[in-house]
Amino acid sequence: MTTIISIAGILALAVLFVGVLRAAGWSDFAGSATAPQQRPVLGGGDPQTHAWQRFHVRYYTMTLLFVAFEMEMMFMYPWAVVYVAEGGKALAEMGMFLAILSVGILYGWREGIFRWE
Amino acid sequence: MSWISRLAARAPVPVFIAQGESAPDALARLALNPAIHVVDSPRAACILLISGRIPSALADCLNRLHDQLPHPRATVLWQSHAMEPFSNAVEVDASDDIANALSATFADLLAGDRPSEADILPDAPPNEWRGIGPHGQGGKGMMGGTPYGRPMAKTDDDIRDGLSLDAYTADFGPFLPMFPAGLALTLTLQGDMIQAVTVAHPPFEGDTAARERLLRLLGLSALALRSLHGQKGDGTFRRLVRLSRARAAIPADLGRLPDGSDVRSRFDAMVTGLQTAPASDTDMTLGDLLVGLEWHEALLVINSLDNATLRGVCARMDAPPDSTNDATHADHDMHAEHMG
Repeated sequence: MTTIISIAGILALAVLFVGVLRAAGWSDFAGSATAPQQRPVLGGGDPQTHAWQRFHVRYYTMTLLFVAFEMEMMFMYPWAVVYVAEGGKALAEMGMFLAILSVGILYGWREGIFRWE
Repeated sequence: MSWISRLAARAPVPVFIAQGESAPDALARLALNPAIHVVDSPRAACILLISGRIPSALADCLNRLHDQLPHPRATVLWQSHAMEPFSNAVEVDASDDIANALSATFADLLAGDRPSEADILPDAPPNEWRGIGPHGQGGKGMMGGTPYGRPMAKTDDDIRDGLSLDAYTADFGPFLPMFPAGLALTLTLQGDMIQAVTVAHPPFEGDTAARERLLRLLGLSALALRSLHGQKGDGTFRRLVRLSRARAAIPADLGRLPDGSDVRSRFDAMVTGLQTAPASDTDMTLGDLLVGLEWHEALLVINSLDNATLRGVCARMDAPPDSTNDATHADHDMHAEHMG
């Protein structure tokens, strides 16, 4: 019973908090912004295109490398626990897993992840 | 006047400065006044301070800037000329005290004695788009359309690696606080790297605030304020700049001119107050200096150049005959293409 009461209390507090925030926001920005107010601030300048665009995420090769090594370690710890019991089958499985991951690392190598810039 | 607006009126006046040609010298020192808060964005300002003569070519930019101030807002013309849309602005002459005028306007505005100024520009998107196209996005196709009245960016090859991604083209300035007053550039950006640059308007003559802007860009706003006192041979100022290690934050070999100076050496000269001869005999254009740089590097390069050199560099770039008209035509052409 106390659990239900405390959950209801937390919910009520959350609703109250959000309600106060919404009310404060509404009083601050009464009315929607006009079209000239929606322009990006460029010091009087005007954009020629919409800002919704694709750009190059330049850290993606680093992410690839991180994921490759991290996944390897994540799988290796539980594998090391069962390796003695499972024997050769576990070794073959880990070999396949590492082969797949190393393709990613080789791809990264080709893309120049390991070149220091 | 309610207690809350009385309390608000005692705060420093948030002012955004639109600096025109031959603005008063006291404008640079306005930031030193504790009753005035010079803000970096019109969205944070309550008063638009127009100072000096605004060329008619920049009138549209001023109107756009005015409309970006949130309500309640007012305009103050300081040693400026009367302009059509600002007929009920407060006018301040050279003999009047600007700080008092700003505070009084701010108090009137908050008390409701002075109505907030209405938008100058019509409340309409740059192009009509609502309800046009299969999804109401203003055109056809995944990448077509003009959402919110602006055409989608077109792909362009990145000059670093040739990847074909969207290039963003926009006019920056002429009232951007991190640019010299009057400088307006049409920049094409890939991410934050500058891919192409055109000068839409050169900086005004006689700008001397480059040192303050450079210090502000390097994150040293307190030292930037101190530099405004302008005492020659302020040894403490030089020592503080040296202790801040700001010099090391500037990339080496950035923005090198044919006379051998780079941003670091020009920054040193500015801090020590040495008057170096303007290197205006170079044949470099702004494109040579800025293309391939990232935004923060480009801003350092622009603000490290003295007024005469920057004007020379900008003059060598052939400015488009009428950039604002061209931009609107381009908008309509792209729009028509998406419609077709």
